[in-house]
Amino acid sequence: MCFQDLEVEFYLFLVYNCALKISGRTSVNKTISLWGQSLYRQFSLMLANQPKLSYYLHPLLRWNKPGVHPDYHSARIVDFRWETDQMLSVWLEPAASWSGFTAGQHLLVTMMHQGRYISRSFSISSSAALFTQQKQIRISCRIQPQGEFTQALAAGIAALPHLSISDAMGDFVLEPKANSALEQSIVMVAAGSGITPLWSMLSSLRCWTSPIVLFYCVKTAVQAAFLTELNQLAAKQPLFKVQLIETAMTGRLNLVQRLQTHTNFSLQKALYYFCGPEAMSRQFIDDLIQQGVSATAIHTELFGLARGGSEGPVKQALMIQQGKVISVDVAAGVPLLQAAEQQGLSPRFGCRIGVCYQCVCQKKSGQVLNLRTGQISGDGPEQIQLCISAAHSDLQIEL
Amino acid sequence: MRLNELQLAELASELDQVKAGVMSQLGDKEARYIRRMLLTQRLSAISGRILMVLGFLTPWLWVLGVALLALAKILDNMEIGHNVLHGQYDWMNDPVLHSQRFEWDIACDAGSWKRTHNFEHHTYTNIIGKDRDFGYGLLRLSNDFRWRLRNLWQFVTYLVLSTLFQWGVSYHELAGERVFFGKKKPDRINSVSHSDLKKAFFGKGARQLFKDYVFFPLIAGPMWLWVLAGNLLANIIRNLWTSTVIFCGHFTADVHTFTQQQCEGESRGHWYYRQILGSSNFTGPRWFHILTGHLSCQIEHHLFPDMPALHYLTVAPQVQAIAKKYGIAYNSGSFLRQYATVVGRIIRYSFPGGKATAA
Repeated sequence: MCFQDLEVEFYLFLVYNCALKISGRTSVNKTISLWGQSLYRQFSLMLANQPKLSYYLHPLLRWNKPGVHPDYHSARIVDFRWETDQMLSVWLEPAASWSGFTAGQHLLVTMMHQGRYISRSFSISSSAALFTQQKQIRISCRIQPQGEFTQALAAGIAALPHLSISDAMGDFVLEPKANSALEQSIVMVAAGSGITPLWSMLSSLRCWTSPIVLFYCVKTAVQAAFLTELNQLAAKQPLFKVQLIETAMTGRLNLVQRLQTHTNFSLQKALYYFCGPEAMSRQFIDDLIQQGVSATAIHTELFGLARGGSEGPVKQALMIQQGKVISVDVAAGVPLLQAAEQQGLSPRFGCRIGVCYQCVCQKKSGQVLNLRTGQISGDGPEQIQLCISAAHSDLQIEL
Repeated sequence: MRLNELQLAELASELDQVKAGVMSQLGDKEARYIRRMLLTQRLSAISGRILMVLGFLTPWLWVLGVALLALAKILDNMEIGHNVLHGQYDWMNDPVLHSQRFEWDIACDAGSWKRTHNFEHHTYTNIIGKDRDFGYGLLRLSNDFRWRLRNLWQFVTYLVLSTLFQWGVSYHELAGERVFFGKKKPDRINSVSHSDLKKAFFGKGARQLFKDYVFFPLIAGPMWLWVLAGNLLANIIRNLWTSTVIFCGHFTADVHTFTQQQCEGESRGHWYYRQILGSSNFTGPRWFHILTGHLSCQIEHHLFPDMPALHYLTVAPQVQAIAKKYGIAYNSGSFLRQYATVVGRIIRYSFPGGKATAA
């Protein structure tokens, strides 16, 4: 019985902690905080039937700010500007609860569009100084012709008062100067909107110790955001070089070849930072590793998710069940629920016709096709009904 | 009148069109509506609990407090909880309004409700032997059931059930699974173990009891008895109201029942047909519909359980016209008239016999 279990657990926990405290085996603060967390959860479940009280109070406190997502921080839109005809920069002032970022990190941005929350991740494109001095950050979004989020953002930006943002995430950041004794040079490659985290890193750098070269690949120079700023930085900072590569004219960049033309440049001694489509990064990594570059010297951030996912009718769904990842192959038009069961998984289910909502679970990424309505979802995190969803791209699902 | 498979297919496609017409338009309007409902619910719950304590100034404040708390519980259970748990607002992608995470201010655990109500009741509506909501295993409401001596006093059973309705609902699945009493039925398959059922039942029940009868009385200090009594009263008002609304939706005089043979391998059209005949509507002003969680439009709710409930009133005329076209009885009337037939039905089947209601 639950409440008895809980009580027993509670006292056991107390005794256990006293023992630990006496024997000095664990940090007391940590156990107390864990204990407090579970106590708080029980308390808010009792009081408000919610895992946290903020969910109960959210409709009250945010009644005039419907766009603020209860799981995220509110961020006031300060200003916006079109960098190119396809890239929109938005300056945000995050609420005091937001804990800051390291240049190169990304965050999940959520907005309310036609009554529903939609999310997409963006790299922060502003410098660390902008946040420390003015409490502002900037995100720069390439407006995708098919993208629900970016289209809605571009259309609504003038009237939007705020967005919701998650904590900053990701480890695509400049390594601290651990190897500066070796005078390692840094090679950066940005493709299209992949410039955003790299520009954040470059504009955040306070003291330059190693040479940095940036290859900036765009179709044509018109589409290159932050080009003026990059050229200004290169003029001011002798250790920095920027090379614009217009793929429409000169074709794709062959990184290894290009680097080998430089005399006095050792491939093996450099650090690499790539941000762009997966195919591009994969190619560069393969080439570099063949040249004997250590994999630990290469950092990548995937950008511009490959829409449509893998080729052919069979998609791959990674289903995460209590931390375990199971790969499930899903043929076109087959409900995910059925595919999961054929793989030996047993997700919660009910009516299997989309009526009872027992099989709803969290999709982390990828697009699904709703078999009842024929609609194709966005590729951000959202809840889906397994029994009437088929894979439209490769997926990650939390069961 | 029985419809052939072709007619049933046409019926299904017409009703699907009605549904698609609403579902393709969902957006800001529905989101604003349900958020306003949440705001109203939170405000009345909090102010109700405060006013009860202020009852020492004048008892009228206590009365107002009880009424507001009862209102909050009714809104939470009906217009918000029941509808959210059906997934009506899942499209909003809002953690506070998502069927998977929602928990409500009632003794019944949301997971148990989704299994017995969303799945069992909505899939097998009024199929005798499969939909345990038809009489809840306590009341004889049609001649499909053999008469037993205990049916003689089933009107009293009904009154007790209504007063303790939240506990009946919360115990419903455990009764069906024979967790504590009786022999397990061989044809019942369930993915949830008995120990998990017990855990959810006692856990949720204990939290609800602790909140209303320990926590809030305790922090009310000298007003503890007033608060305790007020909470009890608010819970009872909510119980009576929800029970009455639900009985008026399924146990009025003209509601039909079905046999398992009739529904084996049924088409979507037949499922729709069964939902119309197995439910009944009642009329009233707008605020009245909101208090019922729009279950005053039980027929529309059963046809489209995942359509945001505020649209039931707008699609009702179309549904009624379609029902008329196919000669399917559309059971609607005033609240008092429908309730009178419910009472009549409970009393009539207290005695042996009674006319057949199988469609």
